[in-house]
This record gives sequence, structure tokens and C-alpha cells, in this order.
Amino acid sequence: MSIATTHPADPHPGHYQPAGLLRWLTTTNHKDIGTMYLTFALVMFFVGGAMILAVRAELFSPGLQLMQPEFFNQLIGIHALVMIFAALMPAATGFANWMIPLMIGAPDMALPRLNNWGFWLLPPAAILLTLPFVLALFGIGDGALATGWTFYAPLSVQGGMGIDFAILAVHILGISSIMGSINIIVTIFNMRAPGMTMMKLPLFAWGWLITAFLLIATLPVLAGAVTMLLTDRHFGTHFFNAAGGGDPILFQHLFWFFGHPEVYILLLPVWGLIPHVLATFSRKPNYGYTAQVYAFIAIGILSVVVWAHHFFTAGMPIPALIYFMFSTMAISVPLAVLFFCWIATMWKGAMSFETPMLFAVGFIVLFGIAGLTGLILADVAADAQYHHSYFVVAHFHYALFAGGIMGVMTGVYYWLPKWTGHMYSETLGKWHFWLTVVSFNLTFMPQFFLGLAGMPRRIPDYALQFAEFNAISTVGAFVLGLSQLLFAWNVWSCVRGGPKAEGRAWEGAEGLEWELSSPPPHHSWETQPVIK
Amino acid sequence: MNAQTTPATPAAPAVAFSPADLARRRRAARRLGWALGLTVLAIYLLGFLLPR
Repeated sequence: MSIATTHPADPHPGHYQPAGLLRWLTTTNHKDIGTMYLTFALVMFFVGGAMILAVRAELFSPGLQLMQPEFFNQLIGIHALVMIFAALMPAATGFANWMIPLMIGAPDMALPRLNNWGFWLLPPAAILLTLPFVLALFGIGDGALATGWTFYAPLSVQGGMGIDFAILAVHILGISSIMGSINIIVTIFNMRAPGMTMMKLPLFAWGWLITAFLLIATLPVLAGAVTMLLTDRHFGTHFFNAAGGGDPILFQHLFWFFGHPEVYILLLPVWGLIPHVLATFSRKPNYGYTAQVYAFIAIGILSVVVWAHHFFTAGMPIPALIYFMFSTMAISVPLAVLFFCWIATMWKGAMSFETPMLFAVGFIVLFGIAGLTGLILADVAADAQYHHSYFVVAHFHYALFAGGIMGVMTGVYYWLPKWTGHMYSETLGKWHFWLTVVSFNLTFMPQFFLGLAGMPRRIPDYALQFAEFNAISTVGAFVLGLSQLLFAWNVWSCVRGGPKAEGRAWEGAEGLEWELSSPPPHHSWETQPVIK
Repeated sequence: MNAQTTPATPAAPAVAFSPADLARRRRAARRLGWALGLTVLAIYLLGFLLPR
């Protein structure tokens, strides 16, 4: 395994410590496991990215050029599952593993072996997700799941064996996430340094705490739904099969009861880390700590009561439509509190724009577009026009790429000196930021207009009137994809060497994590810090 | 409303974690972990009670 070591492998001379691959297989150290999560996420980010570049290449011009519609559908579904479950969620869990013990003054996570198992469930699940592509090359099966990541019945009841692979993979990924969530909750509740009350907890830890509770509440519902799907497919039940008295819309309710909180599961850890970056590079205390904590809690609660806005057009009683419209719009209130606090933190600060700050500011601007277009989609009457169009695709990529992936990149650039003990190349980092922002907008801004003009999502071919915007979007996507190689190279170079980073790598950085050396010692806090 | 992102630096001289304190914290963590795990299982099994 080629994961670089960022801290000593053998902290206890004379005490048996496996080396090489065995070290990584058996490690219970939160920093090792954090590194593995982040490495896995980076690899899967490129796997998922390659899939969607193939899709964008097909969409460069009207007509079928490169692939058949069935393969196109498979690529779209697996791209989403890989990016959500195998890239963004593991990246956030990697951050939590690395940073929460450092931030709260704990020597490690509370349940280190559970932590190890949680990670090592991921690679087999990723293999299960992508294996049907390979099997199909040898004439076995009909490829990966082709229903999109939502597994909607009855298509998923009738589809090929790729759906069974995906159902199994989702179960395993869910178990991994549950293990990670339990570990994070019990670590925050039981391992804090003396004096660190809940209202002194770093905002990143607060963001993750709400995330972990959301996962505990909603992942079993998804697992239940896909298990029921499996029994419908193979064991004669009729949960979702209308022919047997079942209800396909029930699947949509169960799926989105998980699926909508999932958006906040992906975003809350980022909303937790962004204030740290803004405060550091504005060189002033964070504005509105308490307000941000309560906004996180409010968003967490609201996120589990708004799921049906994802399928307004499936048919619902009018009172239900109105309820789901207003409850969805209500999320914009705590979200606006967060935006206000982020901007107020920067207000009159002595700001400097190192790469993490560039990404944080870029995140605020672009994620703001996701929020505003989300309000439009929450409107029942308007949604009838936008539903299943490219407007939705553009909206959720502003949420999950600009809000999620760019947030993760903010965190990587911010904490990389702490993890590796080296500074990365600022020049490469800034190139990466500007190429990412420009090409991201080039890719997804045209998709708003495509959607408004009526182009449906999930189709490999389209009418001639959509050709120009699709060509622009494809060019943007390839620049966006290629510019991420700069990120990978910058991270790899930083792991390998570079100017030495101090314990407090950034001038304005505050918090326990910056009191430790860079990289931190094997056992993060051998002595217990006491918080005033 | 003007709290810092994190509560800054240690105030008192640091002391080594005592094995007894760590063991007590880990026991409490395991108990809460089991409770959360059983909650997950209960929510999962609820699905099978839905009318077919």
C-alpha cells in the first residue's frame, strides 16, 4: 500500500507494532485511520469523476456517439453512489478521525477497533459497486445498476443483477457509516478534555455530532428500504410492486426520508469546518458561535421532516404539498443565520487569502447559489416545471460540489500542514482554486439554462436546441476534472516533503489542535489539556 | 455571541491521562455505543412491520 506515513509508526520501543501493509490493516490509531479514509475518498473521487467525464463526453453533441443508453444510465447511477458514499462521506469521516480527538483533547477515538472495522468495510463495498461493469465485459450479467442512485421502484424491482450488487454495497457502506457515527458520538460525549463543555466544543465537532445523529436516524431507513427491495426481487414480497398490491411511491418516501437528510449529512461537517478557516484567515474570533450551534441543530431537525419535496410531481394531497413546501423553505432561516455569521466573521477582519481561505470564500459564494436555487425548487408550483430537468442537476452540483467537495478541499488545504508537518505549494493551490471555480461554473451554470429550456436529466441524447450549452458544459467538465490532478499532485508533494510546518501552521489559528506539533505525536494527547 | 471557534489554549498545567480515567471513559463510551447500535437495529426492523 502506498499511503505515506505522516507520523511515527513505532511510538513504543519494544512494544510490537506491525509494519507495512499489516500496520494499515490492523491500525487502531485515529490518525492512521483518518489518512486511510482520506486516501480512499481521493481515489474514489477520481473513479467517480472518470465515470461522469465519459457521460459528459457522450453529451458533447446530440446523438449517440460513444455508448449505448443502458451503459450511460449505469454510469450516472454509479457516479452518484461513488461520489456520495465512497468519496464525500469517507472524506468527512477522515476529517473527523484526524481532527476531533486533536480538537477535544482526547488521546484517540473512544472505540478504536470499531474505527478500524468501519474503514475496512469500505473497499469491499466499493468493489461491489463497480464490479458489475467488469463482469459485463466478460459477458456475465448486464452491467451495474441502471436506475440512477435513487433505486426507484418498479424499475429497480425488475432490473438486472447490478441492482443486487448495489443493494449489498449500500448495506455495507451504511454499516460502515453507522460504526463511524457511533464512534464520533461517544468520543465527543466521553473523551473531551476537562473544562470543555458542550458550548465550548469546536464548531467542526458540533457539525459532525449533528451529522452522526442524522446518520443514526436515517441510514437504517434506507437499509430497510433496500432490504425490502431485495425481498421484492427475490423472495416473493410485494412492498413496492403494484402488481402484487404494493406501492412504488412508498419506496420514494422511504428513500428520501434518508436521502434528504443525506444532503445535510454531507454538508454539516463542511459547515462546521468553514468557520474555523474564516476565523483563522480573518484573524478575529468567530462571530455567533452559539447562533451557529443552534442553526446546526435546527437544520438537523428540519432535515428529517421535508423529504417529500423531492417528488412533488409523484402526486400528493394538496395539504401535504403545502406542508412540504413551507417546511423546506423554513430551512433557509437557520441557513441564513450561518451565512450571516460567516460573513460577519470576515467583516473588518485582517483578511489574507491563502488557498484554504480562497476555497472557503468560493464555497460561500457558490453554495449561496445552491441555496437560492433550492428555494426555487421548493416551490410546489414552480417545481412542476423544473422537476427531472437539468436545473435540478445544476442545483445539486452547486450544493454538493461547491458546498461539499470544495468544502472538503478547504479542509484539506487548511489541515494538511498539521497532518504532514509540511507546507504545500501555495502557487499550485491557487491555480487549483481558480481553475476549479472557473471550470465548475462553466460546467454547471449552462445546465440551469438547459433545465429552464426543458432538457430532461438522465438522457444520453437530446434535441438540437440544447447543443451549444451541452458543448460548453462538457468542455468545463474536462477542465474541472483535469484541474483536480493539480490537487492530487499538491497533496502528494506535501506528504512527501516541503517547507517545515510549525505546530501552529497558520498565524491566526486558534484551538487545541494547533497546540500540538505538526505532525502530532502518535498518541495525540498523552497529557490531558485543561480548558479554561 | 462572540465565542471563539474553539476554546483556545490550555489554562492549567497538563496532567497525564490516568489509566483508570481512560478506562472509565471507554466503558461509558461502549455502553452508549451499544445503546446507539440497538437503536439503529430497532429502526431498521420497523420497516418490516409496514403493511405489505
